Amino acid sequence: MNYFLHNTLTHVWAFLMAVTVAAWGFSQHSDGVNPALTIGVLVIAFIKAQLVIWHFMEVKRSPAWLKKTCWAWLIVTALLILIFYAYFL
Amino acid sequence: MTSSADAVMTKPPTTPPGSQLAGEGSMWFFIIGDLIIFSVYFVFYTWHRGINQELFLESQLQLNQGIGFINTLILLTSSLFIALGAQSVHEGEYRRALALMRTAFFIGALFPVLKMVEWLPKINAGITPGENLFYLYYYIMTGLHLCHVLLGLVIQAFVLRHLASEKTPDAEFVDSGAVYWHMVDLLWIVVFAMFYLMR
Repeated sequence: MNYFLHNTLTHVWAFLMAVTVAAWGFSQHSDGVNPALTIGVLVIAFIKAQLVIWHFMEVKRSPAWLKKTCWAWLIVTALLILIFYAYFL
Repeated sequence: MTSSADAVMTKPPTTPPGSQLAGEGSMWFFIIGDLIIFSVYFVFYTWHRGINQELFLESQLQLNQGIGFINTLILLTSSLFIALGAQSVHEGEYRRALALMRTAFFIGALFPVLKMVEWLPKINAGITPGENLFYLYYYIMTGLHLCHVLLGLVIQAFVLRHLASEKTPDAEFVDSGAVYWHMVDLLWIVVFAMFYLMR
């Protein structure tokens, strides 16, 4: 049991679960266009994605080229989605 | 006793100590390619969503939000067990690794089952990809993702067989299976936010 409780991976998972519950909970109270909620859930999603890449996929221990590639994918994808969403508001 | 031998000895490493790929390079090549392809879909989806905002919002609210949510928790938990399993292999704890990976497999296998519970009532009600542009994207993206989940489960089955049969399993092979499964989890995190949560 200690193996699980004192493991960074378990702590990351607990955080991922908590923010998933929070994001889902917030979205259940909104039926119409809601930019604040949308930007919030998208930012949370990309933070979660980065945590999965960094800790679960062990990119934190990978060569610099892979770290840069993963960051580039994350930032470019997140920005394009947020920009296109904001453009049509 | 000079030059070439000394030059080799003093040459700085191209990769910092302790820094290495988790899994095979070819697997990472596939993963990065897949992430880029999904990003293109995400951007096109956002664009069409912006043009047809009301239609997308109305259709989105018809989705089974609860199943989308539970499937997210399932993939996150399955990913945790896979990550702990891969870590155990590196620590030489092969029996623990096998138990963790088995748990990950069975938790992960719930995802396609719940996806069917989500899809079948819709298809029976006549809501198919031809319904509207939202549902076209919905079935294509969640369908593509489901194919990745199924492939991930097949890879996990091979990893489990390897762990069960080898006395000293190949950590790189286990890592390759693990990073693929994490990519499946990672893509679902974005799919879930875009199809179920954004308004």
